[in-house]
Amino acid sequence: MTKCILIIDDEEDIRDITQLGLEMSMGWRVLTASSGQKGIAIAAAEQPDAILLDVMMPDMDGRMTFAGLQANPQTQNIPVILVTAKIQASDQESFADLAVAGILTKPYRAMNVAEQICKILAWTA
Amino acid sequence: MRQPKGDILVIDDTPENLQLLATLLTTQGYKVRSVTKGSTGCRAAQAAPPDLILLDVNMPEMNGYEVCQHLKADSQTQDIPVIFISAHEDVLDKVKAFAIGGVDYITKPFQVEEVLARVEHHLTIQRLQRQLQNQNQRLQQEVQERELALQALQQAEEKFAKAFRSSPNPIAITTLAEGRFIDANANFLRITGYPLAELIGQTVLELDTGLDRIAYAKAIADLQTTGVVHNQEFEFRTKTGQTRTVLLSIEQIELAGVPCALNIANDITERKQLENEFISLVSHELRTPLTSLMGALDLLATGQLGSLTPQGQRVLEIATNSTERLIRLINDILDLERIKAGKISLQKVDCNAAELITQAGEAMQGMATQAKISLAIEPMAVTLNADPDCILQTLTNLLSNAIKFSEPGGIVRLSAELTSEWLHLQVQDHGRGIPTDKLHSIFERFQQVDASDSRKKGGTGLGLAICRSIVNLHGGKIWVESVLSQGSTFHIQLPLNLEEP
Repeated sequence: MTKCILIIDDEEDIRDITQLGLEMSMGWRVLTASSGQKGIAIAAAEQPDAILLDVMMPDMDGRMTFAGLQANPQTQNIPVILVTAKIQASDQESFADLAVAGILTKPYRAMNVAEQICKILAWTA
Repeated sequence: MRQPKGDILVIDDTPENLQLLATLLTTQGYKVRSVTKGSTGCRAAQAAPPDLILLDVNMPEMNGYEVCQHLKADSQTQDIPVIFISAHEDVLDKVKAFAIGGVDYITKPFQVEEVLARVEHHLTIQRLQRQLQNQNQRLQQEVQERELALQALQQAEEKFAKAFRSSPNPIAITTLAEGRFIDANANFLRITGYPLAELIGQTVLELDTGLDRIAYAKAIADLQTTGVVHNQEFEFRTKTGQTRTVLLSIEQIELAGVPCALNIANDITERKQLENEFISLVSHELRTPLTSLMGALDLLATGQLGSLTPQGQRVLEIATNSTERLIRLINDILDLERIKAGKISLQKVDCNAAELITQAGEAMQGMATQAKISLAIEPMAVTLNADPDCILQTLTNLLSNAIKFSEPGGIVRLSAELTSEWLHLQVQDHGRGIPTDKLHSIFERFQQVDASDSRKKGGTGLGLAICRSIVNLHGGKIWVESVLSQGSTFHIQLPLNLEEP
C-alpha cells in the first residue's frame, strides 16, 4: 500500500536524499517542509500518513513543532517520528515525555528509511 | 718494631739523672727524648708535643717552674701532663708546682717503681681525657646534626603545610582505617561547600555526598597494596546539592604515627561539561552530513539514477566503504563516551546469560559464514544482573574480532563457566595470536596489534576499549591470553551477585 510521508527538516540535502530514498525504495509519495511552521501547515492540508520531524532546527525546533501538531485537531493523530543525531542516554530521556511514535537516529541509510518507518509504525509493507 | 707505650720528654740538667730515667723508661717500652736545658725542652715540646713531660725543678737559666709556665701558655703544649722531679721536700714548692699546672711531683731520690707507676698513671689519665674529649666532640657533632635534621624536618613540614594550604587542588587528609577527616584545605572546603568544622571527625562515607562507596573502598584497598591511587574519577554532591566530578589521587602518609590518606582532587566538572557539549556537537554536525553522504551513495548504488561503468562501480564501492567506516568510528567514539559518562546509561535488569550467548552467536552467524568460520556457541543458563544490550555488544564485538583474525575453515568458540561468584565467559579463536607486549595495551583506545588492522579488518580500534568499559561498569574483569600463531582467548568475568549501592 502506498503511503504519504511528510519530511520536516531545515537541511535541504537531508530532505532531498530522504525523499529520493523513500520514493525509490517504496514508491511512496513524499512531501517536504523546511521549517516547523510550514510543516504544520502542510500536514493540516495534506494529511500525510506519517511525519519525519527533525529535532534540531532553528527558530521552531522539533519539540515546539510537535507541540504545534498536537495542538491542532487536524494533525494531532498523525504519527510523528523524531529524527535526531544525538544518541546519548540523556537525550533519549529528554524525549520520553513526548508522545512520539518513535525515534530515528542519524546517520540512517536512505534506502532503509522506509523499512524503519514500517517497523516503528507496525505497517506491513 | 713495637709501638712505644708513650712519647716522654725528660728535661733535667743532671746528665746522670737524665741517663737513669731514659734507660728506665726505654726498657719499659717508652720512647724517650732527653734534654738538659729548659729552653731546649720547650722547643722540643712545641716541635713534637710528647704524651708526658718529666721536668726537673732545679735548673740553671730557666728553672722547671718557668718551663712549665711557658708550656702552659702555649695552646700546643698546654695539655701535656707535666710531672716535676725535685730533691726539695719543701711543701711550698709542691703547692707552686700544682699551681702552675703540674699534675704530679716526684722527689729525689726516687724509687723506680714509683716513677713508672706515676708515669703510667698520668698517661692513662691523659688517654682517658683524650677519649673523653673525643666523645664530647662526637656528641656535640651529633647534637648539631640532630638540630640540622630537626630544622630540615620543620622546613619540610612548613613546605608541606604551605603546599597544602595554598594548593589550587582541593586536598583532604583522612585516616586510612576509617576515612575520618583530619584536615582539609580551603579549596577542598570551597568545592565541597562544607565548613571545616562539619568535616573534621566525620568519615568520608558518613557525609551525604553520594560518593560511590564501593569504588572508594576499592581505591583505598588499592592504595594499601600499591601505595598510590592515580587520577581516579569520582562524582559527589556538594553540600548545596550540586554534582561535581573530580579526578582523585591518593597517597599514603603518616601523621603522628597514624596512617593517613592524602586525598588530592582535581575538579574536572567544567571540563566534563565542555567535553559533553563537544561530543554532542560532533555527534550532530558529523552525523547529519554523513546521512546525506551515505544516502547519496546508496541511491547511486541502486542503479536507478543511471548505470555506472565497472570503474565507476568500484569508485562508488570505495566511497561507501569509507563512509561506513567513518560512521562506525563516530558511533564507537560516542558509545565509549556514553559508557564512560557512567551509570546513567547502564540499564541493569535480571537477564538470562544463555539467551545473551545465543543471541550473540546468532548475530555473528552471517559474518562467520561469509568468512568460512564455524561458530561453536555453548550457552550457560544463569541469571545475571546486567545491561543486556551492553553485554550483547561486548560478546558480538569479541566474536567479530575472533572471526576477523581467524583463517577460513577455523573455529571460534564462545563458552561459559560458573564459579561461586562469577560467570566466566570465554571467546576463543585459533588465529594469529597477540604478541605478549600488546596483551594489555590492546584494551586501550586505538591500540590494535598491527596499525594497518583498522584498514584491513574494518575495525575502529575502539571495540576492545568499549568492551573493557562495559565490563568494568558491571564490576567485572576482562583480559586476554594468547599464544602467537596459535590463537587467543578473551576472558570476561561478570559478578553473579552485584551489590546494589
